[in-house]
Amino acid sequence: MPMGHTATEQAGSGGLTATEHRLANGLRVVLSEDHLTPVAAVCLWYDVGSRHEVKGRTGLAHLFEHLMFQGSAQVKGNGHFELVQGAGGSLNGTTSFERTNYFETMPAHELELALWLEADRMGSLLTALDDESLENQRDVVKNERRQRYDNVPYGTAFEKLTAMAYPEGHPYHHTPIGSMADLDAASLEDARAFFRTYYAPNNAVLSIVGDIDPEQTLAWVEKYFGSIPAHDGKQPPRDGTLPDIMGGELREVVEEEVPSRALMAAYRLPHDGTREADAADLALTVLGGGESSRLYNRLVRRDRSAVAAGFGLLRLAGAPSLGWLDVKTSGGVEVPAIESAVDEELARFAAEGPTPEEMERAQAQLEREWLDRLATVSGRADELCRFAVLFGDPQLALTAVRRVLEITPQEVQAVAQARLRPDNRAVLVYEPTEPNEPTDAAAGTEEEEAAL
Amino acid sequence: MSDAVTSAGSIASTMDFHPQPRGGAPKPWAFPAPERSQLPNGLTLLTSHRPGQQVVAVEINLVAPLEAEPEGLDGVATIMARALSEGTDKHTAEEFAAELERCGATLDAHADHPGLRVSLEVPASRLARALGLLADALRAPAFPVSEVERLVRNRLDEIPHELANPARRAAMALSKELFPGTSRMSRPRQGTEETVERIDAAAVRAFYDAHVRPATATAVVVGDFAGVDLDAALADTLGAWTGSTAEPVKASPIIADDAGRVVIVDRPGAVQTQLLIGRIGADRHDRVWPAQVLGTYCLGGTLTSRLDRVLREEKGYTYGVRAFGQVLRSSADGSGAAMLAISGSVDTASTGPALEDLWKVLRTLADEGLTDAERDVAVQNLVGVAPLKYETAAAVAGTLADQVEQHLPDDFQAQLYARLAETGTVEATAAAVNAFPVDRLVTVLVGDAAQIAGPVRELGIGEVTVVSG
Repeated sequence: MPMGHTATEQAGSGGLTATEHRLANGLRVVLSEDHLTPVAAVCLWYDVGSRHEVKGRTGLAHLFEHLMFQGSAQVKGNGHFELVQGAGGSLNGTTSFERTNYFETMPAHELELALWLEADRMGSLLTALDDESLENQRDVVKNERRQRYDNVPYGTAFEKLTAMAYPEGHPYHHTPIGSMADLDAASLEDARAFFRTYYAPNNAVLSIVGDIDPEQTLAWVEKYFGSIPAHDGKQPPRDGTLPDIMGGELREVVEEEVPSRALMAAYRLPHDGTREADAADLALTVLGGGESSRLYNRLVRRDRSAVAAGFGLLRLAGAPSLGWLDVKTSGGVEVPAIESAVDEELARFAAEGPTPEEMERAQAQLEREWLDRLATVSGRADELCRFAVLFGDPQLALTAVRRVLEITPQEVQAVAQARLRPDNRAVLVYEPTEPNEPTDAAAGTEEEEAAL
Repeated sequence: MSDAVTSAGSIASTMDFHPQPRGGAPKPWAFPAPERSQLPNGLTLLTSHRPGQQVVAVEINLVAPLEAEPEGLDGVATIMARALSEGTDKHTAEEFAAELERCGATLDAHADHPGLRVSLEVPASRLARALGLLADALRAPAFPVSEVERLVRNRLDEIPHELANPARRAAMALSKELFPGTSRMSRPRQGTEETVERIDAAAVRAFYDAHVRPATATAVVVGDFAGVDLDAALADTLGAWTGSTAEPVKASPIIADDAGRVVIVDRPGAVQTQLLIGRIGADRHDRVWPAQVLGTYCLGGTLTSRLDRVLREEKGYTYGVRAFGQVLRSSADGSGAAMLAISGSVDTASTGPALEDLWKVLRTLADEGLTDAERDVAVQNLVGVAPLKYETAAAVAGTLADQVEQHLPDDFQAQLYARLAETGTVEATAAAVNAFPVDRLVTVLVGDAAQIAGPVRELGIGEVTVVSG
């Protein structure tokens, strides 16, 4: 029988509690009860993401995620979707650098079905996996790539900046969508090997949140997942360690048919799960979150040189996080004007630190974002899995907001001084070409531009 | 192959299989019934207490339809919506933004055909303060000349970004094609370069004076009110807003030309073609609405619906194609309409074959109808997901505000679930076929005309014209 312990409710947890359990095969289970609405969320995180992929097989983790919806021993074809939706549930799966998650939100009385479905594919996917579904989902994923990245202006900026921010050979150098060539190269045997290596109960965390009976729920989990054998084929991802600072600015100029010039940059920031990452989150919020931020006030309101300007944080646990700058220029404004204004604001912020009012605003914003994530059972289930998989302790989810509110202005200033510097960023500049101009006409000038 | 069988077999043999479980008894859930009241200044109020929802959602409906924009000033409603938060009688624009964010609040305003919507979300602990700011924005916006100028320039800067986005470009082209040039609906909601650059602070003020007043406005407030004195907070804030009692403007009927034809917006070199295939049809006041919702879901509501079963899961032409009905404007006199459409994107080379299959799906639906099993699954999903869909305060507030905007009773959504459950396969089929008749659909394709025009002409789905991107 699973062993568990109940955490006491902690201050600042918003009234949330979670209990932890572990099956004999190593599957970790987190339960959180909330009877306000008759719904239950099931969330399953596998500790595998694009960082586990090898050269020549980028995009495999995500392609594989699609294959998880193509049937298993007792579930025919699209049955997973049909059964969940037919029961009044909603579902999906997503793949990131660090993990792959699958989730269902069900009317509470249909919880058992979601558990049965997740267990069936965890234990028996390979009995159903065939060439036909691989070929079909390969085409679907290639169209996903076209739709979300290749056919929209600035669509490949994320990929380009990531490739600069993490050097060649680094596990985060490529993004989860992968390249067209690697998607074409993925074979059925690759997919099978991937499943055998990573899709094991001892490489997953299952969280169930909502209107549940914990004892009954645990009995179902034991019944459906308990007999799936553990296995230890997993290879750790390549080492993601990098120096704190890039040590010099990297720069690429893209000449493409885009609607306006743009300045984008990725700053190397502290790993998620540290106080420094929370401090960086606050720094980026003061500088570029919302419409009272320093960059918005400077570029959009006062200089009127930008149509949009903001900073975001991509939190990562297995490699440095990224601070994400995105400025689209106004009218005929040139990038150097924007860049010097940004540098001025960052330098001033590093020298002065945040004002008390700015700290209050940034903490209030991050608190609301956190409350938004906790407003749904699926949001809570996802956070519990996140802290269990990436940091080994789901209870940390309950106190995450408190940790952000405890950060001091000095810590915010310190991280800005140490990290938000020109020698710690990769810069991507977009220069629009005229419509219909052959794109390779720009190729010859790229190196020259980049030297500026 | 033999390897596969061996390894798959060995895994299968080590797991205990159990039969598919049957669900338990459903627990009762109903779409929340709001409390309706009126403040002394004439503002209509809908409130709904949702325990556990710590982020409170407030939606304000203002009867300031796009149709009421003065000739040649398309976009003035949008600029006014944005200018509401650019300074008041108490705060400058920068101060106002800072005060809102100090509450941990977000405030969005946007203008659409039926009117203007202002949406506030804020933690319950700071609701009273944020309501004060919202009330200031509605009651006493400053509309400073320089801030309006900035918003106009900013809006002009946004237009090229929208035109570059294939989905946005397709939506604009479809509206232009469907509605007569004299109809406001034929033109972009947020104006064109030509009209936006004419807008100034005086025009914004005039539009505000003509259309924004508490007597024709509604506030929807949803969230966990434990520990909040809501009546006092509302009286002190939105209750202090004053204005005339003039009647709201009347809407004119919506007409559209849905003769089957194809417009290609040329994008040389595009790797995908954006599809948008549409016409107008019944809105929520029409008795057919529940059947149309059901039929449209069966056609293209999800990846197991008819369109994606072929275009995505069999052929791999797309990441997903959806059919939907979206109310443009709705009123009890029957003058409203919904946009009924199919949208998605397919790789350039598959454009002709994908459209051919899409039309085949529509023809098969018309010839053979839906199956009872499809209808049952659709009802189970549409009705069953309600408690999930309406978990957050924002989702409940949004639907209540839509009902107000569309002149529907407060229990419309609650009743809709009962009506969906009563709708049979035959009615759902008829509604879907009437909604998407194969010869009355306007097709917009944003893609590489040199590659797609030929194959599309061969399909015989209507005359093909090419316009520049």
